[in-house]
Amino acid sequence: MNKVKHRAMSALIVAALIIVGLGVYIVRYLENGAKWATFAVGGYTSGVVSMGTIVDRNGVVLANADGSSRTYADDWSVRRACYHAVGDYSGNVGTGALSSFAAQLAGYNPITGTYARGGREVKLTIDSRLCVTAQEALAGRKGAVLLSNYRTGEILCMTSNPTTDPADSSAEIADGTYLNRCISVSYTPGSVFKLITSAAAIENLPDLSQQTFTCWGSMDVAGVTINCTGSHGEQTFEEALANSCNVAFANISLQLGGDTLERYVYDYGFTRTHKLDDIVTAGGSFTKDNPGTPGLAWSGIGQFEDAICPYSMLRYVSAIASNGILQEPTLLVGKNNGSANLMQSSTANKLRDMMSYNVQAHYGAWNFPGLNLCAKTGTAEVGDGTSHAWFTGFLLDEAHPYAFVVIVENAGAGITAAAPVANAVLQAAVNG
Amino acid sequence: MPQLDFNGTDQLLPILAQVARFLLPILALVVLFRCVRSMLSGRADPETWGYLVTPQGEVHPLQHWECIIGRAKSSDVRLPYEDVASVHAVVTRNDKGDWHVTDLSRGGGVFLNGKKVEEPEQLVDGDIIRCTKHMVKFATNSEQHRALQEKKRAVAGWKIHSGTTLFFLTLMQLLIMLQFFVSAKEEYRFQTMLAFFALILIEWLCYLLMRTMDRSGFEPETIAFFLCTLGLCICATATPGELVRHVVLLLASVLLFFLFGWWLRDLNHVKALRWPAAILSLMLLVLNLAAAREVFGARNWITVAGFSIQPSELIKVAFIYVGATTLEHMFRSRSIFYFIGFSAVCVGGLALMGDMGAALVFFATFLIIAFLRSGSFATVFLAIGGAVMAGMLVLSIKPYVAQRFMTWGHVWEDVNGAGYQQTRALSAAASGGLFGQGAGNGWLKNIVAANTDMVFAMLCEELGLIIAVFAALAIVALAIFTVKNAARNRSSYYVIAGCAAVTMMMVQMALNVFGSLDILPFTGVTFPFVSRGGSSMLSCWMLLSYIKAADTRRGGSFVVKSGAKSRGEDDA
Repeated sequence: MNKVKHRAMSALIVAALIIVGLGVYIVRYLENGAKWATFAVGGYTSGVVSMGTIVDRNGVVLANADGSSRTYADDWSVRRACYHAVGDYSGNVGTGALSSFAAQLAGYNPITGTYARGGREVKLTIDSRLCVTAQEALAGRKGAVLLSNYRTGEILCMTSNPTTDPADSSAEIADGTYLNRCISVSYTPGSVFKLITSAAAIENLPDLSQQTFTCWGSMDVAGVTINCTGSHGEQTFEEALANSCNVAFANISLQLGGDTLERYVYDYGFTRTHKLDDIVTAGGSFTKDNPGTPGLAWSGIGQFEDAICPYSMLRYVSAIASNGILQEPTLLVGKNNGSANLMQSSTANKLRDMMSYNVQAHYGAWNFPGLNLCAKTGTAEVGDGTSHAWFTGFLLDEAHPYAFVVIVENAGAGITAAAPVANAVLQAAVNG
Repeated sequence: MPQLDFNGTDQLLPILAQVARFLLPILALVVLFRCVRSMLSGRADPETWGYLVTPQGEVHPLQHWECIIGRAKSSDVRLPYEDVASVHAVVTRNDKGDWHVTDLSRGGGVFLNGKKVEEPEQLVDGDIIRCTKHMVKFATNSEQHRALQEKKRAVAGWKIHSGTTLFFLTLMQLLIMLQFFVSAKEEYRFQTMLAFFALILIEWLCYLLMRTMDRSGFEPETIAFFLCTLGLCICATATPGELVRHVVLLLASVLLFFLFGWWLRDLNHVKALRWPAAILSLMLLVLNLAAAREVFGARNWITVAGFSIQPSELIKVAFIYVGATTLEHMFRSRSIFYFIGFSAVCVGGLALMGDMGAALVFFATFLIIAFLRSGSFATVFLAIGGAVMAGMLVLSIKPYVAQRFMTWGHVWEDVNGAGYQQTRALSAAASGGLFGQGAGNGWLKNIVAANTDMVFAMLCEELGLIIAVFAALAIVALAIFTVKNAARNRSSYYVIAGCAAVTMMMVQMALNVFGSLDILPFTGVTFPFVSRGGSSMLSCWMLLSYIKAADTRRGGSFVVKSGAKSRGEDDA
């Protein structure tokens, strides 16, 4: 009997495995419970879980669900302008608040599950009025507009086109409607990338202030011609940025080298994904080429294989606006996602002054009446003969500390296509 | 001052039902904790049935009805001499109190009072057993002395009163009734209340019956009734129309539990029917293969006179009945080969039917029985190797089984296809949190087969994660209890049967729970006592008889004849 009684212990192996399995489940439950519980075709299809209410920063209802009905904003233009920020009840926009904040809306927590069935209110930082203004300024062109308060991180405007009316089930859905171009798409940056190359130059080329850059409309790099937008003659570094001179920045890129550029692009967060609250944003790409190659020259000008997400650019200009310290953006009122020192304050201040000079000397302050603007244009060639228009920057105005990024696809030059959109939204944000 | 509102009960009951959500896990904890403490804390006092005394005066107590004499360290009575075989002889006691000695040495020789033992020889007090040249004297334990020793053994349920535990379980059931009173549809409210009253009645009658038999160990039954309570919740929320049927089946199962337990008391009865049980099982299997109808891809149901039964559930009980063996039998005949053959036919037959879950449960049970009987890891590894190859074959000819393996770990990639059930289960389980939405308030019940294959998630959703985890731990507690009892068992038959029964329950429960949660492939077996299914309920209660048969605490189990009055007359 002694034999058998010792062998009986083997039954405990199964018992131990069960305990381990339960442990695995509990860990997974704590990790993913919110996602599981708010799985769209789970509880919602049977109407057990109500999803609560989403409002904008001024209390305008953007989406509301109680056990029996689900509605969106009353106003057609608000529904379209806020479509990507809010999403829809079918979960078509994966990054929309209805999907991303489903757990908060359903009142989920791991202790009581979704028992609090009244549903909760989620207050977004966006101002639906600004989104409508931005959408109108886009005037049907594809593109994205982001505007945030760089002191608090609150995103005030986030709109993307093509868009649709979620309340109209028969609305025609254009290709790419379900993508939020502000946070889920990476574009060729063109000249806005020169802000990054500039930062690298400021910190790595000690004799930068003594250098002059001579532009006769083009230059030759290893047998390949780098074209410029004009013939800028002899310029300082500051003038080169204001001129957005390709010859000067090709020269600077060749001086910096691919490794340095790549490090800066990574450190400033352009090739990484980010978490905007619980929403994962698109990462970008940067390919470093060998020393002395035209690829390296173009990569510092924002062409070659460069791609960045408008959201990454918003983070970057926000950091420039506040001495290099980035207040991480958020979409939820009252939420603080923390801050980080993204760049040296001297670099940030130098860039700030240069961006201010851009507007004063080249873009024309009269184009932005009443705004103390610092900015950079971008006209990114996309290879089919057209260009994406970029305009990014911020206001030097403690009462209105706004940073912004505008991209209009295939619309031509940044200054003519994107800058007016930015101006319209900024005017609405500052003057109400 | 607020006015007293006599219609306030309309609001009061729902509020109480909400409060009950938090009380239920506490009561479940109390019930389970009391059961576990009572089962595991008592001293494992062995019974002493006789003695073997060496010429040097060493006294070896005989603490089981089957004791091995040999050189091996694991022998019950160890004779550490070169010329003694590692397993030399076995002394056994039968139900009537007669002792026999059997030679297992294969040549070394066992002599009783100088005469070589060829067939099992009866022993009387003072007999001299000689193993090669080493002698031991056999001495019985006098009835008076035994009675005295018996009095000193810890009484089951003495420290922690089973009646009190059952009272807490009843409180839990009353709170669940309250929740159902609020949540149940008008047309089913009365039936639901009645069903829970019937459950309470059955468990208390059981308890009183045990008390009249002077048995105070009621923990395994309490655990079973705890799980049956959860099973009744599943029935009440998912298929309230079947409540009457469910309760009738529960009653039948409990009756069968008593009858089968009674049968297991006498090893001679048991041994007599092993072959017929094996043959009957094989016949059932053949009948099943020939006449079954397909439900969800598996041909494991047959309909007899309007009743749907799952023969594999009944074969489970027979499988253990056939597989367990006494020590004497274990060493004398190499009957394990018959058992391996029998197991292969059972597992193969179930695999052919497409009932992969049941095949796995049988296979795991086979492994534990084979290991308990042979003690050989080689046998076990050989069996696993064979099974893996057979499994591959099944996977290649049964595409839907292979598909389940493909889906495993990827359920969220195909939420409306292969991952349909698991994603719903996870979603519902998470929405319950720790305390659940309240009995009757879930939505998972609307998903196909939720009340069999996804009961863990249903429990999580309606009663909360805490109670669901307790349900799983309850089965584990039964297993630990049975393993602990192995040390003081009378016969290896009960040890093997008990361990096999708990292994079967645990494997089934693990496949059910972890399959629905995407931690294991989804196989679709039942959660013992909880899942819907009459055949399953019957077999679970019969498996519980094996567990009771392994419980030799003083006054512990009706399946074990009282030790003090050992000659079988205590039945009267």
